[in-house]
Amino acid sequence: MIIQKCTDVSCDNIFAWLNQGPLTLTITLHLIILVPMVWIYLQEKRKLQHRPPEES
Amino acid sequence: MLSKLLAHPAFESPTKRLAMKYFAVALVLFGAQLLFGLLAAIQFLWPDFLFNLLDFSINRMVHINAMVVWMLYAMIGSVYYLLPDETGHEAAGLKLGELVFWILTLAVAVVVLVYLFVQVGPGKDSTIWLITEGREYIEAPRWADIGIVAVVLVFYYNVLGAYLKAERKTGIMTVLVADLLALAGLYLAGMFYTDNISMDQYYWWWVIHLWVEATWEVFVGAIAAWALIKIVGAKRRIVEMWLWIEVLMLFGSGILGLGHHYFWIGTPEYWWEIGALFSSLEPVPLVAMFVHVLYDWGKEQGRTQALENRSAIRNAPAMAWVSINAFGNFLGAGIWGFFHTLPQVNIYTHGTQFTAAHGHLAFFGAYAAILIAMMYLAIQGAAGIRIMRMTALSKWSIALLVFGIMGMTVALTIMGYEQTLVERAELGGGWQAYFTAQNLPWYVQAQGWRLAMGVVTFIGFVLLFVDLLTIGNRQHEERQHEMEPAPAAA
Amino acid sequence: MSQHDPSVWSSTSFWRRSAAWVTGFSAILLIFLTFDTMSQIQMGSDEDLKTGKVRRVPAPTVINHAIEYKMSRKRGHEVPVIGEEQPFFGKIWSPEDARALLHKGKVTVQAKNCMDCHTLLGNGAYYAPDLTKAWLDPAWQKGGLMQTLTRTHSTEEAMAKFLMDPPKYATHTRRMPNLGITRDEAVAIVAFLKHMSAIDTNGFPRNFSKPHQGEVTYAK
Repeated sequence: MIIQKCTDVSCDNIFAWLNQGPLTLTITLHLIILVPMVWIYLQEKRKLQHRPPEES
Repeated sequence: MLSKLLAHPAFESPTKRLAMKYFAVALVLFGAQLLFGLLAAIQFLWPDFLFNLLDFSINRMVHINAMVVWMLYAMIGSVYYLLPDETGHEAAGLKLGELVFWILTLAVAVVVLVYLFVQVGPGKDSTIWLITEGREYIEAPRWADIGIVAVVLVFYYNVLGAYLKAERKTGIMTVLVADLLALAGLYLAGMFYTDNISMDQYYWWWVIHLWVEATWEVFVGAIAAWALIKIVGAKRRIVEMWLWIEVLMLFGSGILGLGHHYFWIGTPEYWWEIGALFSSLEPVPLVAMFVHVLYDWGKEQGRTQALENRSAIRNAPAMAWVSINAFGNFLGAGIWGFFHTLPQVNIYTHGTQFTAAHGHLAFFGAYAAILIAMMYLAIQGAAGIRIMRMTALSKWSIALLVFGIMGMTVALTIMGYEQTLVERAELGGGWQAYFTAQNLPWYVQAQGWRLAMGVVTFIGFVLLFVDLLTIGNRQHEERQHEMEPAPAAA
Repeated sequence: MSQHDPSVWSSTSFWRRSAAWVTGFSAILLIFLTFDTMSQIQMGSDEDLKTGKVRRVPAPTVINHAIEYKMSRKRGHEVPVIGEEQPFFGKIWSPEDARALLHKGKVTVQAKNCMDCHTLLGNGAYYAPDLTKAWLDPAWQKGGLMQTLTRTHSTEEAMAKFLMDPPKYATHTRRMPNLGITRDEAVAIVAFLKHMSAIDTNGFPRNFSKPHQGEVTYAK
């Protein structure tokens, strides 16, 4: 089962709410951490393209 | 002074001379760590040994405290050693640094004497302040905590001062300066008292985990990067790019990997998921570090072989220890850590010798190895040796230390398995279950092997100790001999 | 071609910025998680115990109650169950007295360095049994080995008597040393242990002292 109801002592907080079964919380957190790296990647790419290539 | 014995003190730099002092004390404490470890190992087999005189708790406390402190000494020594090279400046407050070294060493001596001769105190707040805090790894009484903070502030001022003055801020120094700030700041999380044991352990792990699985690891990454430049002439651009990748992965997995200590201490269930999945990624940067060392070594070896027909390695013992660090970190921290990091496994392995197996190999592979490498590099610098070769002693000490630690790790792992199966899974982890498991042949035999391998480790250390004391002077003199006929040849 | 398609993967600046982002964000996330966890592991109040509100870490006055460790269908593991009022060392402790006693107990546990032989909540050294649920251990209950050895008639009296002179009641060659624990300290340590056994540890230790197949005997 992908989704399972929270069974903890307290379920009224954001992290317990995200924790709806195995993986949901950690997938969310990993995504929040990794997705902005795409933006950093694209920005760096643009910066490199606009710079004249180094000799060597 | 031991620091004089360590090497021919040929330094111009006073900061590097200060570094040698830290290395010297580190080496002595390393020996103390192993000695008290042996005493504790003997007590597992013969519980009457030193009973009521020097009980297991005391030996074990000195064993792990000596380890933490010698590593901190060697870490401070390493930073002081590379500081002038990386920044082009001496430590900002050298006199203060010198003074603080003696204060710290005196304080460590007092704390150890109190551990050994006072041992425990009455159940009063004053005991926490004067005798022991009784919290594994950070047992040092509160007065010593405050002293350590003061010492670290002086050290940090010295490092930061040199860094800020540097014309070119290298990636290695930037990472170190940021990492040391986090490392020092985290110590504060272990300096308060609460009646709530769950909260107590929550913040206790901030010190322990965020040190050894985050900030110390990044420290090792930075030091290894610097060592590779020194030893095989790795290219700074490549090494520093790797360093940032390592920082990304180490902190990315290590900070929230803290959750794997929050499975069973009273904290909410969502830590199962966070702890399991972030800490599962912790081995990834360790693989990267290992690949990185081999890559740079191979690359530079190929280059120097082709161009100059010689080995790229300028310090053979240091290179050996850097390689042991790279692989040992991956094996001890990575593999042995991953073994029991998932909550489904950890509910049975938590609090068994499994943890001890992981601890022994990880601390040796991840930290002891790289710090020994730094000692060899420092001695090479101190004695002014261009190319440091292995001596027979270097080789034997490596062989015995690695064999001894691996042997202890395997023995402890077998004990851990046995405890997990019998004490935890089968008998339910109670008082009777504990003693049943402790007395089964698999456990007792493994304890025997652990002690034997501990002795092997100790012999390895003695050889290492002698090698570090003599290699500098010996190879320095050999070089003088080689250089004498040089004018004639020219 | 290479001029217009440079590789970002070998750019130090990309990795530096990514490292800064990941580290910073993880640290912020940890701080948020810490706030939430702290609110959940704050000690409950005496009121919570009376109204039956479940807290992860109960009030010190939990020492005035019977404690059990039972399988919870809902949670999927064992949880501490706080029951009827039950005198502790022959009396019901006021919230202030219970708090003071727990404080003394925790300080003593640190002062005697229990953690460098035992484990608390599974953390510590592995030379002696885990103390997380020691209060609930069959060895200390009525008819258990330790009550028989110490000739006492309650868990708390057995534990206190043992703690004041452990070598006298040793059961194995590996003995606990005499740490100079006074009667007051012993009472406080027992309060600390009883309180700890009431902490919700997410089911650790599992199947505590309930062997699956009954008693198993092994050859020594």
